[in-house]
Amino acid sequence: MEILEWIRLIVGGALLLCGLIIFLIELYGVFHLKYVLNRMHAAAMGDTLGISFSLVGLMVFSGLNFTTLKMMLIVIFLWFASPVSSHLLARLEVVTNENLENHCQNYAELAELEKELNREKEDEQTGGQEA
Amino acid sequence: MSEKSAVLEMIYRNMYIAVLVILAVMLFVCLIRAVRGPRVADRIVAVNMMGTMVMVMIAVLSLLLKEGFLVDICLIYAMVSFLAVVVISMVYMGVYAERAQRRRQKYPQGHNREADRAGMQGTEPEKGESANGNS
Repeated sequence: MEILEWIRLIVGGALLLCGLIIFLIELYGVFHLKYVLNRMHAAAMGDTLGISFSLVGLMVFSGLNFTTLKMMLIVIFLWFASPVSSHLLARLEVVTNENLENHCQNYAELAELEKELNREKEDEQTGGQEA
Repeated sequence: MSEKSAVLEMIYRNMYIAVLVILAVMLFVCLIRAVRGPRVADRIVAVNMMGTMVMVMIAVLSLLLKEGFLVDICLIYAMVSFLAVVVISMVYMGVYAERAQRRRQKYPQGHNREADRAGMQGTEPEKGESANGNS
């Protein structure tokens, strides 16, 4: 039985460590990215994946009882609540930002780039068929 | 759980305390983001992140103190934090719309100048909508 306890410690500790590392990546992303709509992407990762990993690790520690069930409920609730709050925040940002286009300028260039890439690909394909 | 050996108890206790300390440090970094964030949405995102980390802290604390009811508090905290984000974003949108309307009534010419400048930057469907709504 002693072995089982040690295995539980190692598995739970690894999961909890994964959760902490994901929180760390989230923090890095929030400080690295430049705009709210990009930062939201990093923040949502911690809301779902980070807390799921941490709470699954804590579930392994606590064993089979009501505490585990409640932690599961927290994770499931956050899976539903986090996209809704992200959507509301994105709408808030889009509604209240008067010069949103300054942050989204690259989309036109990206579309042009994509068009150009498709054209090149078609050229290559036709060239390959001819050869 | 009661037949756990003393060594395991000590390891668990130290690990919980280490996790709590790491989470507390990350919480302070989040607070820096919330203070520095240039826009309102930045601050709300940072506060939301802080809420998530506090939830993990409460769950760890409930296992450290062996008090099951702290997990209930964690569940309530999740619900209240979600409600806070929804309410704050809705209220801020309302306040912004009201302020924009007052500004439009006060300076109709200034607003026209703004719309002209926006129209010069490029043509987007959103801008057309906003120009129609303002006129």
